[in-house]
Amino acid sequence: MADNQLLAIETTMKKVYLGMLLLLSSSMASAGDSALPGNHPLTQVQAGSLLISELRCAACHTDVARNSIPEKTAPDLAEVGTRVTSEYLQKFLASPLTAHPGTTMPDVLGARSESERKKIAEAMTHFLVALSTAVASLEPLESTGSVDPAQGKELFHSVGCVACHGTKESASDSQRNPKHNSLVDDVDEEEAEDPARAASQAIKPMVVPLEHVATKYSVKSLSDFLFQPLRVRSSGRMPDMKLTPSESFAIAGYLVGDQPGPSAPLIPDAALVSAGKKHFQELNCAACHSLKGFEAAPPVGSFMTSSFKTADFTAGCLSTVPGKTTNDRGPRFDLDNNQRQAIVAAIREDAGVRGNTAVDSDPVALARTLTVFRCIACHVRNDYGGVHDAYNSFFKGSEMNLGDDGRIPPPLTLMGAKLKPSWMKKVLFDGESVRHYMVTRMPQYGSANLQHLPSLFRRLDVLTGPQMNIPNPGGRNESERQQEKLIRAAGRELLGDKGVNCVACHSFNGKAANVNQGIDLLTSFERLQPEWFHRYLRNPGAFRPRTVMPTAWPDGVAAFTAILDGNTDRQIEAIWYYLSLGTSAADPSGVRAVSTKIKVGEQTIVHRGRSRIAGFRGIAVGLPERLSYAFNAETGTLSAIWQGDFIGVNWSGQGSGDFNPASEPIALPQDVSFVALENENTSWPLLPVMTKEAPTNPDPLYPKNVGYQFRGYFQDKLSIPTFQYRSGTIEIKDRSVVEGTGDQQRLKRVFQFQSPTPQIIWFRALVGAVHRESDQVFRSGRLRLHIPAAETKLRSLSDELTQFELLLRLDIPQGKSSLELRYEPIKK
Amino acid sequence: MNRSRSSPMRTSFVLVMIVLLGLGPVHAEDVGERWGTEERERDYYPIVNITLPKDTVIEAGAFAVLSDRQFAVGTRRGEIFLIDGIDAPKPTPSFHRFASGLDEIFGLSWKENAFRVTQSCELTRVSDSDSDGVADRFETISDGWGYANYHEYAFGSKLNTDGSQFVALGLSASYYSHALNRGLIMKIAPDGKTTAFASGLRSPGGIGFDEHGALFYVESQGPWNCSCSLKAVSPNSFHGHPASFNWYPFSPELGPEPEMPKTESRIVTEKNRVKQLVPYAVIFPYIRMGRSITAFSVDRTQGKFGPFENQMFLGDYTQSILMRATTEQINGVWQGACYPFREGLSTGILNVEFTPGGNLLCGGTNRGWPVRGIKPFALERLEWSGIMPFEINRITIEPDGFQVTFTKPVEPITGNAPSSYAISAFTHPYHAGYGGPEIDQHQPKVKSVSLAEDGLSAKLVLEKLDPGFVYELDLVRLRSCDQDELLHRNAFYTVNEVPSR
Repeated sequence: MADNQLLAIETTMKKVYLGMLLLLSSSMASAGDSALPGNHPLTQVQAGSLLISELRCAACHTDVARNSIPEKTAPDLAEVGTRVTSEYLQKFLASPLTAHPGTTMPDVLGARSESERKKIAEAMTHFLVALSTAVASLEPLESTGSVDPAQGKELFHSVGCVACHGTKESASDSQRNPKHNSLVDDVDEEEAEDPARAASQAIKPMVVPLEHVATKYSVKSLSDFLFQPLRVRSSGRMPDMKLTPSESFAIAGYLVGDQPGPSAPLIPDAALVSAGKKHFQELNCAACHSLKGFEAAPPVGSFMTSSFKTADFTAGCLSTVPGKTTNDRGPRFDLDNNQRQAIVAAIREDAGVRGNTAVDSDPVALARTLTVFRCIACHVRNDYGGVHDAYNSFFKGSEMNLGDDGRIPPPLTLMGAKLKPSWMKKVLFDGESVRHYMVTRMPQYGSANLQHLPSLFRRLDVLTGPQMNIPNPGGRNESERQQEKLIRAAGRELLGDKGVNCVACHSFNGKAANVNQGIDLLTSFERLQPEWFHRYLRNPGAFRPRTVMPTAWPDGVAAFTAILDGNTDRQIEAIWYYLSLGTSAADPSGVRAVSTKIKVGEQTIVHRGRSRIAGFRGIAVGLPERLSYAFNAETGTLSAIWQGDFIGVNWSGQGSGDFNPASEPIALPQDVSFVALENENTSWPLLPVMTKEAPTNPDPLYPKNVGYQFRGYFQDKLSIPTFQYRSGTIEIKDRSVVEGTGDQQRLKRVFQFQSPTPQIIWFRALVGAVHRESDQVFRSGRLRLHIPAAETKLRSLSDELTQFELLLRLDIPQGKSSLELRYEPIKK
Repeated sequence: MNRSRSSPMRTSFVLVMIVLLGLGPVHAEDVGERWGTEERERDYYPIVNITLPKDTVIEAGAFAVLSDRQFAVGTRRGEIFLIDGIDAPKPTPSFHRFASGLDEIFGLSWKENAFRVTQSCELTRVSDSDSDGVADRFETISDGWGYANYHEYAFGSKLNTDGSQFVALGLSASYYSHALNRGLIMKIAPDGKTTAFASGLRSPGGIGFDEHGALFYVESQGPWNCSCSLKAVSPNSFHGHPASFNWYPFSPELGPEPEMPKTESRIVTEKNRVKQLVPYAVIFPYIRMGRSITAFSVDRTQGKFGPFENQMFLGDYTQSILMRATTEQINGVWQGACYPFREGLSTGILNVEFTPGGNLLCGGTNRGWPVRGIKPFALERLEWSGIMPFEINRITIEPDGFQVTFTKPVEPITGNAPSSYAISAFTHPYHAGYGGPEIDQHQPKVKSVSLAEDGLSAKLVLEKLDPGFVYELDLVRLRSCDQDELLHRNAFYTVNEVPSR
């Protein structure tokens, strides 16, 4: 494709009808120049210019344009000895193209004899190792600790590594076929009858080989690199895959495999270090590798001179024959003929030079960026890029029903018109992602490397849509306010399950959807531009040919004619407006409220929160035997018992943590439990009652004014709590455990008292329709209470003799004493 | 009410204000205009998302620093997590759940191997007696307040130098005081003895100590509060909302019940009549500077976080933004300024804390109230990129104007021109109504400016400087010596007192 064609397409995209867009993005037009791998759109000259920048010709040559993309930098060598094994380092320095076919590091020793190469490589290895704080060494897998190569393999094949590196198997293929390298996949010359098909077949998957890593790194050092690749390779060609340390470790284990090591660590030899240092200087390594204390040599030939343009490119840096360089220090790159030709074409056309629009226009700059950073390995833009068939099956998602949308990264077509600039930066630079269902990750390339990208997208992609008339919530007059109410109600209805039912497949503010868990709707306004939103909602298929997202407005006609007069534009506007309100608007109908069920395992669970059965200072205790109780800490009262599931907790809205028993509880009164009554006829001090009419607490100091003070709780090894509180001068410990099983299950409650003096205190054990079954057994509703031999008083609370309270008169001695009660729930 | 005079530089904003303030009820839905500075801010203060463990909800309500490595977060869901590795360049910290089952944590500090946790129901000492890494002792230090409505949140301060702590108690349903001590600040002595310390709170969002060690709490806009503000707390002080007068009979230590403030008045008038009334130290003009500001933390990072050492940093729940504030005491009264700092956070910010590495950790939730941020909860770390932003650093008052310091030298031509310093002033009514307008707006003339030789500060002499007004500085015309525009053009100084010459 000619450069002006690319420009034309980019320009057309701005105006193109969406139907046409569909046509373009679904067809695979002819690929770009075969000097570069992947389905890129660059011409030979543009590809050559890209190679000039990726191979860093400007490190030695002058007048090479530094265009909008920061050029590829060489790895930081400050700690190379810590990172890379000395064996590999030496092998690589002696012959980079053999040790790592496809490397962009040129061979600078091509003209030297074998023994000379070896000598220089050894000296430089000593020099580089001496710079590092530690020495990397091969290691057998078991010595690396708990590395899990199976997990590593799974991650490697799912997070996105495959898109550029292929599988280990395809990597070995490329090793056997030296024409496959990181920059190029050769093109089969076979004829095909359908040119489009031929072009599509001609695009081989990218394979950046990794075979060398098994001898280059230890698991540990590769893991460190994978965790933060930009620390060593700042230009982001190997991006940060958002791996955690343990994920990096697993992938490293998988890639490196079992190593023979440990090898004897290299101990730098002073003479060799000094010789290596000299070589580093003489070979002008500093031209590409910045290293403290070294300066690059003065530049050689300018790209601009006419003699250079007409030079014999079969010699020099582009020579294919080792040693056939203009001088014996010249570097030799691992290039194929297509690449050489592309570079020559670029030099001859001044394409490497600043200001040449053939390589410097916005569409070209964007295509270059997407090619250099291999965005095209995962994303389609217009008629280029996209996941290669060979790798398609490695793109996975957790939401199968979303189809390809749920597993293939989204198209970049019209991206500049789609995302708000601030959100695009969050995705590119802050690692934000809303597609939690997509296993493949959006890599991070470093903000310095893609600083230019958001504005480039923005300049190129413009999409017009109807004006969205967002109402002003603080409307100026009554009619505006009425209008706002109407639109809001319409937006809510359309989003909800009585309308278009967006919430069926999209979560809403973290609340799961009913069917599929598509992108959270609440992110829309933050992420998307209104014009794009409008056009997308009208016809999602125009943007994503195989999307599962239906349109509620087929051919622009609203299916819900009763809402906003069935006006499509206004309906979409209403949805957009509703989403703009964010959390300030109510959830649409069909969004499920969140009540979190808390399950009890082997440990007892203690949960504080307000509850109708335990007051505001309520505490729910779930015992592993599936018996639970509630304790009102404000009054020191066991206020409910239930069997079965523990509690549901409400963590929605403004409140927090209020709980309800998950099974039907036996509720007990919540008034204070221990009181030193004046005499047996003194009425029990009750919780003050607040009503809507009299909301202020009439007895705000209750129950502290009857001597009660909560002091907290401690938990034992099984997390069973012991509550501590005071009644007057008596310190009380209150602990309950389960006794018996099945129908015999009881809650055994033990009080331990510590009193400074002998005294009498009353305990209110039961209230309600209390029935005496024996002197030590009382029943009230579904609860039977077993008490020890004690003085009791069953007092009537009503004239009808239906309501009673059971009081225990406790003679508390000085010092320690205790009391045991058993609460027996009775099954219905 | 005079609200028509406005700075031409902020016409669009003023339009919004007119709409919101005067003509019709303020709807709770509009979270307000953006500053529009996010794109530039990220160059200086990038936001780093902290990856949370899967299936773990961390709605941060309070933070505590344990050691050089360990950091803790207390959540609205009543859990405490110990976080290791919060400052790593690419953070993938470990989260260890130390405690659970507590009720809305809005105060957390670490002392002698135990947390002191302010939860809605009480101040609790939480510790791990058998050293198995999980808390097993929950000792009630104080529960000296009523709790009978879900909105009765309790916010705890860090420990004071004498070991005491303060708890700020919100009103019932944010309007009334139905339960004991709602609307008071309680002082809790090291032995747990709890006494009433101050009154007049509405809906606090945090309480703590400023750079000078003085106690401040964060108040929200609402009845008797036209904007959110920072309020300076002294013993027996009254902070404007009279609902808590209910509890004076129960707390003789608070002294006599204050005179009932008159509505439709001014703070400057009422403070002469109601002697316990303390004027709001730093007013955050509503919507322009947040809609529900929350707990603050003081930058003691010794420059690691940039040029704002000793300043208060605080978030806003609704707008998901961060702001700065500075304080000074004039004639015995606290006042100061607030400054925009960073927008574009992902959730409603409930609390912030400086990490051992000198970064600012922010967290919260977007549940229950309007929030601009789109995440139900998040932890985000702000770090200084090392690039110096051109900012108003600090405003202090002078007898005849203000001293303004800058983070970078100001270019002298714009810096010496009085026209580069657009000043406008307003006050709020002091009234029982919910929120309220900016009134008595005027634009005091800048009589003269003297830019310091080093360009790092300017002294402004105003023709008029009145107590009771908020002064907005709009310095959009200033340029730094390297031709930078101010990252944030505005700052707002609340004048309660004018120092004498």
